[in-house]
Amino acid sequence: MADADTDRLAARRPLSPHLTIFKPILTMMMSIAHRITGAGLYVGMALLTLFLLGAAIGGGAFAAVSWIASGFIGNLIILMIVWAIFHHLLGGLRHAFWDRGLYMDPRGRELMAQGTLVGGILLTLLLYIFKTLSN
Amino acid sequence: MTVATRFTSGRTGSGEAYVADHSGSSHARFMRLTAYALMPLGVMSAWWILGLAGKSLDGVRAEIARPIPALALLAFGVVGMVHARKGMDDIIEDYVHDEALKARALVANLWASRAIAALWAFAILLIAAPK
Repeated sequence: MADADTDRLAARRPLSPHLTIFKPILTMMMSIAHRITGAGLYVGMALLTLFLLGAAIGGGAFAAVSWIASGFIGNLIILMIVWAIFHHLLGGLRHAFWDRGLYMDPRGRELMAQGTLVGGILLTLLLYIFKTLSN
Repeated sequence: MTVATRFTSGRTGSGEAYVADHSGSSHARFMRLTAYALMPLGVMSAWWILGLAGKSLDGVRAEIARPIPALALLAFGVVGMVHARKGMDDIIEDYVHDEALKARALVANLWASRAIAALWAFAILLIAAPK
């Protein structure tokens, strides 16, 4: 068969079952959340870079970027970045366990998924509490 | 006598989807090594990034100008963006199916990640370098 025919037939085949087909389960959601927090941190780092450049230049430049870390939007951005750091960090830690063959059984991986979700929120909360206490 | 055959997959017609580029294990190891560095750096950076919230210009500069926050944030930004570039490569390779667009997206990702890392480091050095 010619390549063109093969490609045409291949294009008509469905991709593997995806989000609309699989039942949502926690380990899957945490895998997706790991990717989303990773991509989110990319954007977050770009925003923080703008903010730091503004702070380095000062004056009007800082006034133009101060929304990134102050006010309602800024506090929300900082909260999202801090949470994403912890969630993504724990997601990576989970992979470190899995790399060593640990916690791969059904109960273990469920525990890892729950730990990532709860731990990310808990560590964020703790950081805010310690920061408030240290001020 | 051997006959040269060309593997043809049903999906792509050329078999490219099933042929390894032999960079998988070094990619995985690179992500893990940078991740180990990013664990302590990430916790420290989260602390100082939170410290930026709601600060005045002088407050922001004071937060970053001290040596340890400056060095940790500098390392976090540079190592983090190298790690982020590889991770974003994975995302692009998974979701962008058009070959020409994929190639462009990978190049854009490379330069965006380099620009963020460089400007991040530049901004921190401007604030923290001894005057």
